[in-house]
Amino acid sequence: MAYDYTKRTDLKGDVDKQKQAHKVLKEITFKPALPQRGYNDRTLYVNLTDLTIEERPVTQQMKDKFIGGRGFGLWFLWNATQASTRWNDPENELIIAPGPLAGNTQYPGSGKSLVVTLSPMTDIPIDCNVGGYFGPLMKFCGFDALEIQGKAARDVILVIDGPKGRIAIEEAPLENVDSHVAAEVFTHQYADDEKDLPNVSVVSAGRAADHTRIGCLNFSWYDLRRKATRLKQAGRGGTGTVFRDKKLKALVVHGFPVKGDQNNPADLERIARIGVKMHKELHDFDDSQCHMRRQGTAHLVEIMDAYDLLPVHNFQYGNHPDTPRINSQVWDKRFTQGIPDGCWYGCSMACSKGADEHQVMTGPYRGHSNTVDGPEYETAAGVGANCGIFDPDWLLECNFYCDVYGIDTISFGTLCAFCMECWQRGILNAERTGGLEIKFGSGPAQLELMHQMAEGRGFGLIAGQGVARMKKIFAEKGWGEAQLLNDIGMEVKGLEFSQYMSKESLAQQGGYSLTNKGPQHDEAWLIFMDMVNKQIPTFEDKAEALFYFPIFRTWFGLNGLCKLPWNDIEPADNARTPEPAKVPEHVQNYCELFAGITGREIDRHELLRMSRGVYNFQRVFNLRQGKGQRAHDRPPYRAVGPVTVEEYTSRAERYDKQLKEILGVDPAGKSVEEKMALTREHREAQYEKLMDAVYKRRGWTPNGVPTLETLKEVGMDFPELVAVVEQHL
Amino acid sequence: MKVLVGDPGKCKLVHACEAACAKVLHKKTGRPHAAIRVDPVEGQPRFQVCNQCGECITVCPTGALTRAKSGIVLLKKDLCVACYMCVGFCPSLSMVRAEGVLPPFKCISCGQCVKACPEKALSLVEQPHEGLPS
Amino acid sequence: MITVNGDPLEHEEGLTVQGILEAKNYKFPLLIAFVNGKLVKREDYRTTVVPDGAVVQITHLMGGG
Repeated sequence: MAYDYTKRTDLKGDVDKQKQAHKVLKEITFKPALPQRGYNDRTLYVNLTDLTIEERPVTQQMKDKFIGGRGFGLWFLWNATQASTRWNDPENELIIAPGPLAGNTQYPGSGKSLVVTLSPMTDIPIDCNVGGYFGPLMKFCGFDALEIQGKAARDVILVIDGPKGRIAIEEAPLENVDSHVAAEVFTHQYADDEKDLPNVSVVSAGRAADHTRIGCLNFSWYDLRRKATRLKQAGRGGTGTVFRDKKLKALVVHGFPVKGDQNNPADLERIARIGVKMHKELHDFDDSQCHMRRQGTAHLVEIMDAYDLLPVHNFQYGNHPDTPRINSQVWDKRFTQGIPDGCWYGCSMACSKGADEHQVMTGPYRGHSNTVDGPEYETAAGVGANCGIFDPDWLLECNFYCDVYGIDTISFGTLCAFCMECWQRGILNAERTGGLEIKFGSGPAQLELMHQMAEGRGFGLIAGQGVARMKKIFAEKGWGEAQLLNDIGMEVKGLEFSQYMSKESLAQQGGYSLTNKGPQHDEAWLIFMDMVNKQIPTFEDKAEALFYFPIFRTWFGLNGLCKLPWNDIEPADNARTPEPAKVPEHVQNYCELFAGITGREIDRHELLRMSRGVYNFQRVFNLRQGKGQRAHDRPPYRAVGPVTVEEYTSRAERYDKQLKEILGVDPAGKSVEEKMALTREHREAQYEKLMDAVYKRRGWTPNGVPTLETLKEVGMDFPELVAVVEQHL
Repeated sequence: MKVLVGDPGKCKLVHACEAACAKVLHKKTGRPHAAIRVDPVEGQPRFQVCNQCGECITVCPTGALTRAKSGIVLLKKDLCVACYMCVGFCPSLSMVRAEGVLPPFKCISCGQCVKACPEKALSLVEQPHEGLPS
Repeated sequence: MITVNGDPLEHEEGLTVQGILEAKNYKFPLLIAFVNGKLVKREDYRTTVVPDGAVVQITHLMGGG
């Protein structure tokens, strides 16, 4: 069937009536300005408790040491909080910062905002990289970052209006908090007219963020073709939960019409040249490489299945015969093709696909027809395959409600899969879940769990605490054995795993668990290098990869860039370069982009140096908050090897062969349990050795603490950081 | 719609078309500012100029590129954000960007180059545009 | 017998690079193939015959969400 991308249920309602109910609590005037060479040298600080709104200067030291984006966010958060601060303390901040390169319209993937806060999942900083127009529009009103501290008494919105030179905190009692409605309504409230709609962007969460720890934030942009607001998510770690705890209903930025030179770049010609080169590359090669323009990251579903890497049934298995029902061919047809789907101007990778005319089947929006933003790979794998649900309509339904209610699809997928396995093993039953039959494969049960989270009732309240807390709650209630719960509960540091199987790749076990914020693959994705290509066989090789890639990839977040155009498209001659996995030509593009905008020439070594400082700073931050040590860097055994007899048996040939070839043990005559125990002992020992090698390469102690020499080397030997580190040396 | 077409048999590569185009579009004289480029390829002149196919309309994020009633694809400069996706995605590489000029530009079938060509190698030819992106 | 990324693979007469990708179920689009250290271009996968005893490296680049 054909879907009409202009058709959807009208969500605006009576926009003016809702706006008239606003009560201005505080407003200031400001002088809008454009950045010079990528920086405004000014940030905006807002305190919702005492209604402070003030401009703050950006120092040269901040730019030198922290660059922007995630770096600025971490620095603000460090200064605003203490070791004892938790996510729901008023002093916790929510920071949104683009970066010096954000907002350029020439290079694909340049519209990102970085969100930083103390996470309700992990009690350490979380950083999310999110698209949508908010960050760039705010930057072009004159602010390099927005810091929000304190808590409002009642639901409020923060409005930054560039053309009117006004910043205000307004009580907003009537609007729906659910993101697809909130984005639509606030966009229409603050745009001057229809032509002005693309110049408004909204940040919002949703009603489930009020009752769970896995709340996410949606950043909107106005899609001219669809004539509707679209959403991108700052998904991980409970950013939406913090947002709602501060009683924020929305952040609204009303900016100026976007032009191509608003960063006032040092050398526009230079960035235009590399921008066009990238557009041409995507035009020429995307159709034969990753199909990002047609399928977004959903192109990965069947690839991961083919390599036994698609998480199935809570990461027990790596593939499933029903995968073709949710693979890229399905999404290729289901996504509207042939219209620009960039989440910022100039993104020719255009992976923000939309499935139009989804007929909502459950919950408060049942019967509505809506555009679903996605699914991306993580969502299809997480709420789909990992929960044993291979039905595209239920997958869209779940994706829709995750966004609408403000729930992170990755944590939701992983925690839902955990609940389903607990049901499978009798740890959960109808009596314990209040009648919710949370079985693998059940779309309706998954959605019921979601609606319970949104309404703050039933088992949804428990599940919404996340896997780490569920494990504890279940064990305390005597539901299941603690050891099994710990083995199958897929979280590290309190954050749920994202959706790749790391069992057969030691390097990726580190790629997930030796991360700053928790097991998210945005630091390093090494499975192919390690498991398939066998390019990094020794501990030193793996440690080198776990040194380089996390540092390199940190740089995107410092600058307001997307990672995807780095390596989801490849130049024609990439294969002939000495290190194709690094995509050297694209790394050079980034050096040029930085120089072209900021006027400061850098090379690939300097690029790493910039990131390495912030990366180590974040590690020390974790340390200050009581984590950031070896004990916090160990994965659950499910991420390392077979926990159950079924898992071992499903890959018996591989595991038996490893026993024989690696351990010199003849598997014949041994029981599966004996073989599992030997495998486990071996694999856990390997992981310990990996930690030793990685810490050494990163310049950290065997306990994972950056040494004083390392802090000095990376320019982070501030007395306050040294003081934290010294307690652990 | 009227599409600019060149005759390689007549062209003597004097580049008068480029000069005329740069003048009408940007009041400049140099070839970088022209929306038509003529170069010898394997001994024959090759005309690099917009054929009004409209692929650029579909990639433009702001609706700055539209097809006029006449069928010609036009750029509304006030809507353009200079992302240059149209430049990278033009199948015939006929959307042009020049140093010092923010919006890209293209042939609008104005006919100035036709008049300027001493060899009468260029003409505006009527072609149908039904079914092309608008 | 040949080796592919260090693992042995049965050799058949007329085996091509494309044949190896199919035998190994290598479906990822961003691949780099070397046969005995020599780069084979993507457009030549179907026509490049791999001799017995060859050392083949099929490097998968990263990609990924």
